[in-house]
Amino acid sequence: MTTASNAAPAAQTGRQFGDVILDLQNISLRFGGVKALTDISFNIREHEVRAIIGPNGAGKSSMLNVINGVYHPQEGRIMFRGQERKKMEPHMAAQQGIARTFQNIALFKGMSVLDNIMTGRNLKMKCNLFQQALWIGAARNEEIAHRAKVEEIVDFLEIQHIRKTPVGALPYGLQKRVDLGRALAMEPQILLLDEPMAGMNVEEKQDMCRFILDISDQFGTTIVLIEHDMGVVMDISDRVVVLDYGKKIGDGTPDEVRNNQDVINAYLGSGH
Amino acid sequence: MDTGKGRSDIHGQGAEGGLDTFPRYLMHHAKARPQQPAMREKAYGIWQTYSWAQVAENVRAIACGLAQLGFKRGDRLAIVGDNRPRLYWSVAACQCLGGIPVMMYQDAVAQEMVYVLQDAEIKFAIVEDQEQVDKMLEIQPEAPLLEHVIYDDARGMRHYTETLLMGLDELQEMGRIHDRNQSDFLDGEIAKGASDDISIMLYTSGTTGKPKGVCQTHGAFIAAARGGMQFDKLTDREDILSYLPMAWVGDHLFSFAQAMVAGFTINCPESGETVMNDLREIGPTYYFAPPRVFENLLTQVMIRMEDAGALKRKIFSHFMDVARRCGADILDGKPVSGGDRFQYWLGNLLVYGPLKNVLGMSRIRVAYTAGAAIGPDLFRFYRSIGINLKQLYGQTETCAYVCLQPDGQIKLDSVGKPAPFVEVKLADNGEILVKGPMLLKAYYKRPDATAESINADGYFMTGDAGFFDEDGHLKIIDRAKDVGKMADGTMFAPNYIENKLKFFQHIKEAVTFGNGKEFVTAFINIDLEAVGNWAEKKGMAYSGYADLAQQSAVYDLIRDCVEKVNADLANDPNMSGSQIKRFLILHKELDADDGELTRTRKVRRNFIAEKYGELIDAMFEGRKTQFIETQVKYEDGRTAKVSADLRIEEVKTFVPQAGKQAA
Amino acid sequence: MGFFIETMLGGLMTGMLYSLVALGFVLIFKASGVFNFAQGAMVLVAALAMARFSEWSNAALGGDSLFLANVIGIIGAGIVMFAVAWTVERFVLRKLVNQEGATLLMVTLGIAYVLEGLGQTFFGSEIYSINVGMPKDPVIMFEGLIEGGVMINKEDFIAAALAAVLVAGLTVFFQKTAVGRALRAVADDHQAAQSVGIPLNKTWVIVWCVAGLVALVAGIIWGSKMGVQFSLVTVALRALPVVILGGLTSVPGAIVGGLIIGVGEKLSEVYLGPYVGGGIEIWFAYVMALIVLLFRPQGLFGEKIINRV
Repeated sequence: MTTASNAAPAAQTGRQFGDVILDLQNISLRFGGVKALTDISFNIREHEVRAIIGPNGAGKSSMLNVINGVYHPQEGRIMFRGQERKKMEPHMAAQQGIARTFQNIALFKGMSVLDNIMTGRNLKMKCNLFQQALWIGAARNEEIAHRAKVEEIVDFLEIQHIRKTPVGALPYGLQKRVDLGRALAMEPQILLLDEPMAGMNVEEKQDMCRFILDISDQFGTTIVLIEHDMGVVMDISDRVVVLDYGKKIGDGTPDEVRNNQDVINAYLGSGH
Repeated sequence: MDTGKGRSDIHGQGAEGGLDTFPRYLMHHAKARPQQPAMREKAYGIWQTYSWAQVAENVRAIACGLAQLGFKRGDRLAIVGDNRPRLYWSVAACQCLGGIPVMMYQDAVAQEMVYVLQDAEIKFAIVEDQEQVDKMLEIQPEAPLLEHVIYDDARGMRHYTETLLMGLDELQEMGRIHDRNQSDFLDGEIAKGASDDISIMLYTSGTTGKPKGVCQTHGAFIAAARGGMQFDKLTDREDILSYLPMAWVGDHLFSFAQAMVAGFTINCPESGETVMNDLREIGPTYYFAPPRVFENLLTQVMIRMEDAGALKRKIFSHFMDVARRCGADILDGKPVSGGDRFQYWLGNLLVYGPLKNVLGMSRIRVAYTAGAAIGPDLFRFYRSIGINLKQLYGQTETCAYVCLQPDGQIKLDSVGKPAPFVEVKLADNGEILVKGPMLLKAYYKRPDATAESINADGYFMTGDAGFFDEDGHLKIIDRAKDVGKMADGTMFAPNYIENKLKFFQHIKEAVTFGNGKEFVTAFINIDLEAVGNWAEKKGMAYSGYADLAQQSAVYDLIRDCVEKVNADLANDPNMSGSQIKRFLILHKELDADDGELTRTRKVRRNFIAEKYGELIDAMFEGRKTQFIETQVKYEDGRTAKVSADLRIEEVKTFVPQAGKQAA
Repeated sequence: MGFFIETMLGGLMTGMLYSLVALGFVLIFKASGVFNFAQGAMVLVAALAMARFSEWSNAALGGDSLFLANVIGIIGAGIVMFAVAWTVERFVLRKLVNQEGATLLMVTLGIAYVLEGLGQTFFGSEIYSINVGMPKDPVIMFEGLIEGGVMINKEDFIAAALAAVLVAGLTVFFQKTAVGRALRAVADDHQAAQSVGIPLNKTWVIVWCVAGLVALVAGIIWGSKMGVQFSLVTVALRALPVVILGGLTSVPGAIVGGLIIGVGEKLSEVYLGPYVGGGIEIWFAYVMALIVLLFRPQGLFGEKIINRV
């Protein structure tokens, strides 16, 4: 079992950041009269592990949903690779290489682990409906090639033993892993993780940390991570944005954030 | 006392055609059956096959690579990891160079590994993955001799900059170049090997004291492997699943020595959790598992049967009755009536066949169990559905090879007859003494221990107590040193009683106390899965092991089991005095991480007696409850305290049957 | 004996038609979680379109080629079903993403009425016939086994074979292809499906198209047997107990359920009818479905409801 402690130095030293891949400028989001996000700006650089933290109700999930195209901010611009992003839907975000996992696990419960992860390959499949409907050679070969890719993910996440199990019958910790696997299958450029460690025990949290670091390491995937628990995240993130009541109160390396007075107040104030 | 008629045709074991070391066997197979599968490994969901020629090529590359790094004759090479082909190759590669592979348990925590590294003065280690590398790096300061750590799986290793690390791929690449430049180097090294060289070091788990490195020679393991082959008519067409720890003598005998000697195929599972599935896919012809594996398999079948429809259940129970009546006899070739034969044939079609298929045992010709006593019901179950399950007896010091049950002569409570080339006799105190070519050469750097365990006549003292029955089958009672006496002088054989307890599906572990006392008491660990299922059926709520263990319904359940054991003991004149009077259910599961069990899951009696002294006292003093606080260690090395008020309950004891007749 | 078997076979044939309609229900329910009351109306529209298009083209072709006219009819009807699917998705479902099941159910009721109305407006409300050239002559079988043999319609045979091929094809499509997997994914969780890049809109169009295709096949068979008329809509009401019996999510369930109800109806009508008075076949199916619900709420083949503790 790898522990987070010896992984931490790798997080702070090993990684090389690239250019800004996603730049959020002055984002404000309202639901009716309720302000969820107010004038938030920050950017995400290629290959980094970027955490968004904050107490419950700070607007973290709203932020993630903005990036993912579920919510459309009333104000502000989102620049993706230097281009301003137009109004978008979640499946379009997926097409642009943004994959996500869910806080409350949104897997296809009746389907097997393999089928779940295979859905992540959907966008990469080129055969059209007719080829597939006829179940002809090209569609078949394509299926096999993608299955091979999925097997690599199964191996990576160490879930060989549950390949054919329906996801609904799995314990929570494994479901989270499958959720991650499905997102990984998309070979995303940006991976959004919505509270990947929520509800896990210590051992499962450590496993998850290891997977996140390994993903960053092996695939160079840019990772955006939401957590309300400061502890674990600080060890594995390169830069951290702190939100509180929909406003940005801190942004920087884990050490900078840890010593930021506003952040300390926010966390102490909310009982963390 | 009594001397067993051990078979002692010791001269039958001579090497065939100069094949007296494992490297020679390997090179022989690479020539004799180059394209036959030597190993399979499931990776990325597909079984990958390595032929004997490929294995030999890879072994050469590893060996030459090691030589290039400066590995010398007699050096020790630590090998740690799950059953991976490349680790088996590393064993062979080390042997090619005249080195000694030292097998280490992959689930040991770093601190437990320090001792072995220091004791065996390890300079080279080949390990499976990042997890093991981390352990090596952690303990390297304490074992400064360690110069090279070579890892098989490069995953997660990118940012490790330590100079002592190297990937196995890189090592092999280096070795291939070396082999090309000096193609006669390795053959020369192999030629230098002798049958009497040490081929492997296996550490005994050490129920007491520090582990000892058991040095076995090529000759010893080859003799044990050849004896077993001859005994069970094994061929090069066998398939075996290699899933037990490589550091365990059983795996080394079955997956390495016998595979090397016979030239059959070993299959490495995808991961620890997929073994059941892999078993089904491979369908081994030759199989080895400790009793608990057979028990888990049966439990799974039973749980699934309970969920099946009424008709299915009826068919199942009917044909299981048939199997119980005549299955074992049919397997043993004894006369069985035509009607029963027909019913059994039908049962095979409807129940046993499909069942064996689900268990992955359709093709099995010979299956062995060892390492602990197997429950009679369990043993009978497998034999009755036509699986030729047999018991064997042996130790690390004897290459796991002393007694084997011959086909057709299976007794539930014996471990069979002395194996080919092995001589067995009993000491006056009942201790089993063995002699033969499979005995250890020495304990590493422990001449004192070697001298202590091998007597002047060259017999190895097993430390087990036992006797031969009228047919010459050996029966094991207990560890010789554990056998004690009660206050009134009756024999107290704790293991014997504990095994009887553990045969109940609801009891996972038991520890009994009674040496020098008036009566016997017991600690019980319930089987969380079995009891949990039972509780769920009864609609009982519980929040985990500790909570379930202390429920009064569970105590009632366990009391029934203990009473049955008492009734059973009452029937045995030697044992009737050692019935259990009080017991308690422990609040935590005994765990190897807490030092309560050995890595092979044997109870460490003295350690437990010391740790839980107050509980034992409470039982003997007749208290109703006792408070206890203990420390537990989690897999990540953290510790925590758990405490509980444990209930202590009384059990009915029985008037000895034999005694009644005598009176 | 021969009469009993004939009755049963007759039941099986009717049952198979129920199955086809039920299949449409199951497909849409599996893929979008919508209980589609409009399935019956879709059968009617498909059959109407087919009947009228082939009639018109036959007239235009001067009655020379019935085959060609039928092909045009099928293509025309196919286009109509695609238009229905696209329209339903574009103007109804898209607005109702993530709504309650009950809302969607009501919506499909509305769609049913609109389809019935529009269908009859466009294609007329007379009784039309479909003639795809299926042989109508009966054959006598098993003469050697049973006195007098058993009389079977060849037409029924061909219809049964057609249905079997359709079901096998659909099963493979759902289980083995990427689109099938995407359809199952959408059925399971909309939000998650979108996050992996599966567009809901397109998926729904596909599902409704497939359901439309099934409706077309059912419509053609039914229509060529008894003519196309408004009463086809009530077929949907017969298929309702079938899906309850077989399980809402199970393709084989729809098939077996249809056969059971078909046979049950016929046998009860013939053998019980005289005692309890006529009309038994109208309510018999519902009683059977109710009994099944008592013992297996998920239907005979429905997915077991997994309750994790």
